[in-house]
Amino acid sequence: MIYKITVPTVAEDVEEIRVLEWHGAAGQDFRAGELVVELETHKALVEVRAGQSGVLRRVLCQDGEWAKVGIPLALFSDDAVEPLPENAELARDLAVDFVVD
Amino acid sequence: MDLIEALHSMMLIRAFETALARRSDHGFQLLSSGEEAVAVGVCSALTADDQLLTGGRSIGPALARGLAPDAVMAELLGKASGPNRGKGGRGHMSDASAGFFGAHAVVGGNISIAAGVALARSLGGEPGIVVILFGDGACGAGALHEVLNIAAIWTLPLLFVCNNNQLSVSTPRTAALAPKALSDLALAHGIRSASVDGMDVVAVHQAAAAASTAIKLGEGPAFLECTSWRFASHSTSTRETRGQAEMAAVLARCPIARLDAALSTSGALTPTIRADLERQVDAAVAKALAFADASPYPERDEATTDVG
Amino acid sequence: MSGEPAAATERLFFREAIGRALREEMRIDPRRIVMGQDVGAFGGSYREFEGLFAEFGASRVRDTPVAEAAMVGIGVGAAAAGLRPLVSVTYMDFIMLGLDPLVNYGAKLRYKTGGRLTAPVIVKTTSGARGQGVAHSQCVEAWLMSVPGLKVVAPSNPADAYGLMKAAFLEEGPIVYVDHKRLFPIPGEVPLAATVTPLGLAAVLRRGTDLTIVTHSFMTRTAMEAATAMSAQGVSCEVVDLRSLAPLDIATVSASVRRTGALLTLEEGQVTCGVGTEVAAQVQQRLGPIPVARVGALAAPVSSNPVLEAACLPDAPRVVSAAVALLGRRRSDAPRPVSRKS
Repeated sequence: MIYKITVPTVAEDVEEIRVLEWHGAAGQDFRAGELVVELETHKALVEVRAGQSGVLRRVLCQDGEWAKVGIPLALFSDDAVEPLPENAELARDLAVDFVVD
Repeated sequence: MDLIEALHSMMLIRAFETALARRSDHGFQLLSSGEEAVAVGVCSALTADDQLLTGGRSIGPALARGLAPDAVMAELLGKASGPNRGKGGRGHMSDASAGFFGAHAVVGGNISIAAGVALARSLGGEPGIVVILFGDGACGAGALHEVLNIAAIWTLPLLFVCNNNQLSVSTPRTAALAPKALSDLALAHGIRSASVDGMDVVAVHQAAAAASTAIKLGEGPAFLECTSWRFASHSTSTRETRGQAEMAAVLARCPIARLDAALSTSGALTPTIRADLERQVDAAVAKALAFADASPYPERDEATTDVG
Repeated sequence: MSGEPAAATERLFFREAIGRALREEMRIDPRRIVMGQDVGAFGGSYREFEGLFAEFGASRVRDTPVAEAAMVGIGVGAAAAGLRPLVSVTYMDFIMLGLDPLVNYGAKLRYKTGGRLTAPVIVKTTSGARGQGVAHSQCVEAWLMSVPGLKVVAPSNPADAYGLMKAAFLEEGPIVYVDHKRLFPIPGEVPLAATVTPLGLAAVLRRGTDLTIVTHSFMTRTAMEAATAMSAQGVSCEVVDLRSLAPLDIATVSASVRRTGALLTLEEGQVTCGVGTEVAAQVQQRLGPIPVARVGALAAPVSSNPVLEAACLPDAPRVVSAAVALLGRRRSDAPRPVSRKS
């Protein structure tokens, strides 16, 4: 199964975020609870942690790049070899927990 | 402190203001008559490194600080030859190059400004202190209390001098202000504080000098209350509130007469020296009036120059 | 605004644009200092001062108690004596406490000293309603525009937040820099090169032919939203962002209204004696009678209550209604007195 991480709705006035840092590269395994990526809103740092285990397959928005709420940031899958779709939007959402700092 | 010079300075202020008040075009003036010892006592403790800011009762302090009587008279009468081209007048006269950063006519309005000047000078590593002179009338204003607090916290090189002439226009100070002594206002902020007789130029000088020394040693701001009596009403437009008997008692406290008597007793002041001082003072005042009268007003179009 | 990224820019949050300007300016000149509540280690209520305390230290980035009258006065006095301070007044509502030193001393200093002293102080303050209640929501920049000796600027986007802050540090007298709570979430492209947005120069954000909307600060976004909605109805709006309220660029506004023939002013502050009133009067002075509509907050305090706040503040639908009514009136009037050039 392919999953996507999208920019979460962290606060009502946040329209757009900047990716601060990915804590892993394509091919890396993540277990539930591990920090996947840090995002910056105008106000705060958002830690996005995996809510389920999976493999990070493709980063769509690099460190320092901007993305609007709802835009896919990365694709995950249960295993490392499952083929990825052309359109990231079609993937279902990866379970994540996010913490606003 | 040169006491003859102090006497001379007080006499100059008295004669200058008397001559000004006699003119029909004197304008809206606040006079320092009776309060000369505060201005002269404080200024005699200052050096060229220091800056003085005042409220609206600025003529005595400006002259005591050393501004030329010619320039001061011109400014008061609205002539372009004044230090501010006649655009400031008494309420806003300023000559920072002479250590007189300036007057500001808003009661209490110059106190935070003075703290800012002190901050700038201290960050700039400049020697010297900043003195802010205000009356009892400013002591109820939030501005004073806010600035006492911040001056203490930021250790500003600021001397607060309260010229307590005990009347704010018509309101006696005891009806307006709660503390037993106005110098108590500073104690709440941990600021070193003193009260002196503002009619005794020597006492004022000594207290101001001691405060200045302490500030320059890095001890933080200081507060000096000088209790005085004003001889005239609040301003040239204000009705006198005190009766004849009270006024007689007030006039008997004259700081000039007091120093004159003390110096005569000690022999330092002889009739010859006194006559000479009077001559110098009269000449200086006459010269100032002549200079001002011969000077032009600013042109009408200066109404919109230097706006910013 | 959110146009195509130009060459040689970086995308920044609004607060980062302000911070970048401050950092650059404070590195150039040690006389530049910042004072205000929570500006030090906390970095400012909107994080706009982040990093300055670490780089420049407590002497140049000073936390103050809650005492706006004293703080503005100290900033003004320090400027008069040679520093280049920025005083941060977190909520524009509380600039009122600092008006005595700012207006009675700072704005008058050059004049009252016959040109011998000036107070180059920046008072930066955040305006606007965002759920914080009647005394934490106001936009009162119109009150300041008429003070001789005082300048007022209001950026609507990160590039101008940066450029106008750079310009403010070049001023020789007092200047009020008004940002807005609702601008902080919105990123934008900022030139990489050090750039100054000139004072007294408005920006035409959108070209149009039927109506000129003149606005500033956050309402610029509302204006653009309304313009988009109206273009779907076949009405072409030109949107002018004033950026600078004093000095006011009435030449750019007049040139636009001469082309479109109608003026709608839009602000979040009050309509009565507002920015729009001044713009309309000055435009009419130049062009003669023209159809004008002024849109602003309703004449009421702005409550934190979400229903009531939304009712008070202008939004795109209200701007569209006002524009349609204005253009309707214009069509039913006699032929326009000015010829229409495209």
